[in-house]
Amino acid sequence: MEITREIFWNVGSAARILPYVLGFIVLVIFAYGLIRRIRLWRMGKPENRFDHIFKRIGSLFSFGFLHRRIIKELYPGIMHLFLFWGFFILFLGTFLIFVQEDFTKLLFDEVFIHGNFYLIFSFVLDLFGLLAIIGVILAAFRRYVLKPDRLDNKPEDLISLILIFLVLATGFFNEGLRIAITRPDFERYSFVGWEISKLFVSLGESGASLTSLHATLWWVHLFLAFGLIGYIAYSKLLHLITSALNQFFRSFAPSGEIKPIPDIENQETFGVAKLQEFTWKQLLDTDACTRCGRCQDNCPAYLSEKPLSPKKVIQDLKDHLTSQGKNLDKGEGAEEQVMPIASSVITEDELWACTTCGACQQACPVFVEVIDKVVDLRRYLVLMKSKFSPEVKLFFKNMETNYNPWTIGFATRADWAKDLNLKILAENPDVDYLLFVGCAGSFDERNRKVTRSLVRLLQKAGVNFGILGTEEVCCGETARRMGNEYLAQILMQQNIELFNKYGIKKIITLCPHGFNTFKNEYHQFGGNYEVFHHTEFLWNLFKEGKLKWKTGVKMTATYHDSCYLGRHNNIYDAPRKLLESIKNVKLVEMERTREKSFCCGAGGGRMWMEETIGTRINHMRIDQAASTNASVVATACPYCLTMLGDAIKEKGMENKMAAFDLAELLEKAL
Amino acid sequence: MSNDVWIIAEQKEGKLKKVSLELLGIGKKLAEKTGGALSAVFLGHGVDNLAQELDEYGAGKIFVCESEALKDYSNETYTKAIVDLVKAHNPAFLLGAATALGKDLFPRVAARLQTGLASDCMGLEISDDGLLVAERPMFAGKVLVDTIIPEARPQMACLRPNVLPVPEKESEKAEIEKVTVEINPQDLKATIKEMVKTAGEKIDLTEASVIVSGGRGMASKENFKILEELASAFGEVAAVGASRSAVDSDFASHDIQVGQTGKVVNPNLYIACGISGAIQHLAGMRTSKYIVAINKDSEAPIFQVADYGIVDDLFKIVPLLTEEVKKLKAQD
Repeated sequence: MEITREIFWNVGSAARILPYVLGFIVLVIFAYGLIRRIRLWRMGKPENRFDHIFKRIGSLFSFGFLHRRIIKELYPGIMHLFLFWGFFILFLGTFLIFVQEDFTKLLFDEVFIHGNFYLIFSFVLDLFGLLAIIGVILAAFRRYVLKPDRLDNKPEDLISLILIFLVLATGFFNEGLRIAITRPDFERYSFVGWEISKLFVSLGESGASLTSLHATLWWVHLFLAFGLIGYIAYSKLLHLITSALNQFFRSFAPSGEIKPIPDIENQETFGVAKLQEFTWKQLLDTDACTRCGRCQDNCPAYLSEKPLSPKKVIQDLKDHLTSQGKNLDKGEGAEEQVMPIASSVITEDELWACTTCGACQQACPVFVEVIDKVVDLRRYLVLMKSKFSPEVKLFFKNMETNYNPWTIGFATRADWAKDLNLKILAENPDVDYLLFVGCAGSFDERNRKVTRSLVRLLQKAGVNFGILGTEEVCCGETARRMGNEYLAQILMQQNIELFNKYGIKKIITLCPHGFNTFKNEYHQFGGNYEVFHHTEFLWNLFKEGKLKWKTGVKMTATYHDSCYLGRHNNIYDAPRKLLESIKNVKLVEMERTREKSFCCGAGGGRMWMEETIGTRINHMRIDQAASTNASVVATACPYCLTMLGDAIKEKGMENKMAAFDLAELLEKAL
Repeated sequence: MSNDVWIIAEQKEGKLKKVSLELLGIGKKLAEKTGGALSAVFLGHGVDNLAQELDEYGAGKIFVCESEALKDYSNETYTKAIVDLVKAHNPAFLLGAATALGKDLFPRVAARLQTGLASDCMGLEISDDGLLVAERPMFAGKVLVDTIIPEARPQMACLRPNVLPVPEKESEKAEIEKVTVEINPQDLKATIKEMVKTAGEKIDLTEASVIVSGGRGMASKENFKILEELASAFGEVAAVGASRSAVDSDFASHDIQVGQTGKVVNPNLYIACGISGAIQHLAGMRTSKYIVAINKDSEAPIFQVADYGIVDDLFKIVPLLTEEVKKLKAQD
């Protein structure tokens, strides 16, 4: 007996034609749905995401097919892996049958699915079909029994799961029925169908009734499968196209880089008021989102009961896109009365709650970008509407008049260095490195201590460096993230002119925010420098033997990752290694650490705004630090140091814990 | 055109504002230089007795614009009254106060008279060629500029309150001239129906000339009482403030928070009690004229901006201060 099966067994001659007619109709329905969404994305502005084609294919392969990000969370990861690969293999199997029946068999009378290949084919398809069923069950169990906060339930979720389950189940029952009737022994390789066939046999039904049941179920299976394909383009299942596209078109720019408003002097509108002002990729982002909620689970604003959830922002934009799409059909002019997105679609409280920490983007398996949209919408509020809180107004005003966030005259910027005998570039530009002190390091008494520690370390290591003194102005990072691109560009260009005037090539910064801006954003205005954050730089000095510790410091310390050092710039190890290089320091990690670190609450301009809604983010973070029983929380960022130091005071934990910058701890070991 | 100097006096709810006397002081000096006469203009309803308070400060004449329509301040009615009077007498100089009222009123008056206005001035003098030279701060006080109004007349300026001294009383009586103001209600675009006051009787923090502020060193909400006692010893010009950490610890409410994310104040006297002086607090009060800091920690950054520092327990010092202030006030 030949080891194979008759493909259109028992289903009549209609099965040779009708599926193709239906298939064609379903494909048209599918294409119509997809094209409708593509039309919506094309409302957006152009943006080049067709560079680095091979890198993009690689990204699709590793993050799509191999699930590199999806699998980072085990339960949902495995669930999705089973569903994805189950369906992918089943699709391949069906495709092979199509190739055999309609090409090789028709044209060359060649049937290749037989013999050992048939056995392997049967086994693999049954295995992956089974995995897919397990995936559906895992998904349903999680969604409807475990009910994690981050999942919201819509009818489409239930319909999708039921459809998928029915397609898989009817397929297996079909197979079981066929085997129960024909009973070839080799079909035990189709192990799922084999077990089901035993069930039918044990029922003792007559061959004839099984045969007619099989014929009916075959058509049911076919209709369900085609229904599922058609449904894809009109439901969240479309993510199998859009999410893949998003993984392909992902940004390769550093996550800490905010795109400039180009040629700002000649622009007439700023930021984003309506969807058409987003780029097509930003609109695609909204369709790529599957509502998995990983962003929300990692968002410090959401977790501290602010009205912001990155998932909600993206979904609200998607709904807005869909409703605008209806206007698109009505033709020109219909979109004119649309309210600006900021405040009508996304509330101002949501927009101002974002710390731009990037945890959402890091967690997103399909590379949805959130920070760019928040900043674009803030730009609209700030530059078009002048809508911001009084604190923000004061910040902008101070920046404009004194180039620092406080009401302090710029002439006192270098007062901290008066007795330190440092090179000021205006007097002596012969230096290897510029130490860019930044606003906090220059003016804030607490952070001035850090600056002095760093200066001592650099002097000890014999580094030839200088400061800009009173000529230094704010790096512009915070103004930019608060949406005041105009102010940011003024500050950035002012610094670039200074840097170039003194021929600066290498910059050391105290603050990760300045570090990020110099490194990832100044090139937008022609400023290209080699930039070091002090932790990186000190670690290099230590490795080279230029810095040596004389004494140990006995303490248990935990290190708090600054978002702009860690997540946005991948500097996780240097500060930790530095800490551990001091004798008697015991480093303990918080639960949220490295990529999953929790923002101090000050990024994105939040430092300069009142936090009146929900729990204080810095209080939450200090609790996380305290739970490690460390007596010192080490930071490498003036914002973090201020926020954590304040939290320690506000929670009355001064006796238990203290916050220090790494430079201060290292100076103690000198 | 005459060489006369006019000042517009200001009253609020039946009380003469101190800046009116400051205006008379500088007006007198200017008039001496120009050789013109000094006159004061007073607007209101039923305020004859208040006009008397202006007397004996050097003005030769006091115009009292008396009308029901001038009872409460309205930009339209006040502008009409002043403009009509100015047109009738043609003074060379018209001075007002850079108060909230003045900042609203005088730009409109200047526009009506089609003349220039130097706003928010710190000092006024007359140049050798007889022009009014107004000293004004620009760029958040980083520079002072001298402004002149070369052609348009009268030359107008608004003086910042609390900058110039109140002059000594003189013996010469002024001539008081009642002016009838004709205001046709139909010409008004807006009328005042009711004045609704906000926030009770306490003086607004940003307007207080003395602020007593507490930080985390206050240790509890109840302890803020001793600050209130000190503030009330100073009288109604004083208010109580708080640092951010005091507000965060629920010792005080957010509406009295002084600092970067609270109110920015610049009183004559700022008394910081148990405030370490985090930069976010300094940003809100460092421009105060005199800063007194009371803190146990001599290293506290507040002492770097303080004019007077007391390193001691605030619970000991504040009640002592209250007693002393009360004694001094009693001598007045």
